[in-house]
Amino acid sequence: MYKISDNILSPLGVTTEENLRAVLDGRSELIRHEHIWGMPEPFCASMFTGGQSESMQYSGCSRMESFAIRSIYAALDGASFDYKGVDVVLILSSAKGNVELLREGDDEANCYRLGASARRIADVLGFVNEPVVVSNACISGVSALHLARLLLDSGRFRYAVVCGVDVQSAFVVSGFQSLKATSASPCRPFDICRSGLNLGEAAATMVLAGDDVVGGEDSGLWHIGRTSVHNDAFHLTSPSKNADGAYAALSDVLDGVGTDELGFVNLHGTATMFNDQMEAVALRRVGLASLPVNGLKGYYGHTMGAAGILETVLSMAAADDGLLPATLGFAELGVSVPLNITSGARHVDKPSFVKMISGFGGVNAALFASKGKWRGRRAAGSSVKMSKPSAGQKLKVEHTVRIEPDKVLVDDQLMALPDEDTHSFLTAIYRKYVGDYPKFYKMDLLAKLGFLASELLLQAEGGERFSVRSDRAVLLFNRFGSFHADKAYLKTISNPDNYFPSPSLFIYTLPNIVTGEIAIRNHYQGETSFYILAERDEPLMGQIVCATLEEPQIQSVIYGWVEAEDETHFCMDIKLVRLGK
Amino acid sequence: MEDLILELKQEIIAALNLEEMSPEDIDAEAPLFGDGLGLDSIDALEIIVLLEKKYGIKLSSASEGKAIFTSIRAIAEYVSQNRKK
Repeated sequence: MYKISDNILSPLGVTTEENLRAVLDGRSELIRHEHIWGMPEPFCASMFTGGQSESMQYSGCSRMESFAIRSIYAALDGASFDYKGVDVVLILSSAKGNVELLREGDDEANCYRLGASARRIADVLGFVNEPVVVSNACISGVSALHLARLLLDSGRFRYAVVCGVDVQSAFVVSGFQSLKATSASPCRPFDICRSGLNLGEAAATMVLAGDDVVGGEDSGLWHIGRTSVHNDAFHLTSPSKNADGAYAALSDVLDGVGTDELGFVNLHGTATMFNDQMEAVALRRVGLASLPVNGLKGYYGHTMGAAGILETVLSMAAADDGLLPATLGFAELGVSVPLNITSGARHVDKPSFVKMISGFGGVNAALFASKGKWRGRRAAGSSVKMSKPSAGQKLKVEHTVRIEPDKVLVDDQLMALPDEDTHSFLTAIYRKYVGDYPKFYKMDLLAKLGFLASELLLQAEGGERFSVRSDRAVLLFNRFGSFHADKAYLKTISNPDNYFPSPSLFIYTLPNIVTGEIAIRNHYQGETSFYILAERDEPLMGQIVCATLEEPQIQSVIYGWVEAEDETHFCMDIKLVRLGK
Repeated sequence: MEDLILELKQEIIAALNLEEMSPEDIDAEAPLFGDGLGLDSIDALEIIVLLEKKYGIKLSSASEGKAIFTSIRAIAEYVSQNRKK
């Protein structure tokens, strides 16, 4: 797919150009904050000022939604197609959306549900198709670009507008603090003195078109030919020591691309001990350790759902000027692999790069972007698309599971219910049908539901389990995101006299954690993604699942609709599917 | 000390949702992480929260916690020497 236009909206500027100039000038809005939002611990973050927020506010929309709308409008300003057409998909990328609006006792989630937010944004802008929200923790931005590529490559849409956005609040900052992942001073990616990440606010947008719609080598447009998402299947918050997921994602996007054809790598570089070390290992494994690399968190902090898009857009804009920006905050290498990290801006001789990103839930993603002839020798010579031919094929359902508060169906057959009433319904089902995975008890409602349904589905499939595989994707959808976990976590920070943010509750406020639990249990190192829709939309879900199955390395998909409002209102439909005639 | 050990076992079972375990199942001398009780880094962070909430002990990093959390008895000894409530 080709990038037609873009925008970055951040505390450093409201256009991509303003942001690029600020970064090249070495400016940052990372500021230490003390005693705001009633938080006892200081933190360092890059946030819009009250004046900036007010000046960008849209009536009837939240701060987060307003930033997204501004950014999308600005990006569309450079586009010459009718974005209100039926061949355009809007994809929103956000880890926590409007969670700052959640209050204790809220039972009506409408004001802050991400699906409803995306629909409001789509309505204000006039998009006609149902928007899709990608909520895949910190990799959401590159995940959203991955989804755009799948949907454009498969010909289901001609254009995609992909916007990443997140704002900061006591909810998010306290959560990262509870995980001991933050630094109260400006972050220092890859540095020996690094002590954690900073959070940031931003919105960033890319307007993209399919390979058949615009472009070509002489178009002067940036091309994103390869994207990949892989799970480590290792741990919910610690990356794999061998960087398995990041290595797999890098290997996918570099297939057919020589190291000598790459200008640089833009890293995730959060400045946590584990992330930066893991990325260094991944670069060594894939043979890129000597390439110039940089990280941008020293300017923006970690902008969560915006990060993957913002950092890709900024890397493109800088490369257009022949530059690779400095890694602000970096001075002395603090990872075990010698890396060629830019401590000052340097010249870039090739407009081609890889963007890496990783996140909680074990997720990793990468993309390869290039301009003109730098497509990769083998890649350019072969068919451009990574997709496999699927003409005439449709989804073939192999097994199904449905769980409701009082019944369980496997392949449409009612299952015998547990003969006990001392445990909750889901725990009783676990004890009767699974029983060998005590981590189940630590999961939140959404993860318990997804885990149990996938267990029953895989029991129905039979055959060998628990060996490492990358040919199966896990894609889950819902309306409410992690509403139930959000309310549970909020309780731990609402009372100033009883303020003890719980790390184990916070982690489940990232809805993709349920897909990570399934990946870890089953050693699935293929794609795992979590999507949020305004309403259940089977045709749209089917399009996403089919497009995923058209990836050459994916043979089967576990996908489902999982809704967990509270202990008595939940439902899960899950299917194991392949493509077939 | 034995009372504190029992109390810690009960608190940890509740805080970490070790639902199928009772205090008798936990060996006060056994390692908490890896092969022993099989706890992980998120559990370590949750025990840090528990120590602050219940005993007023503030630990700044997970690695500081891991050095102390070698066994329930080690935690009990640390708590008895450092508790503020």
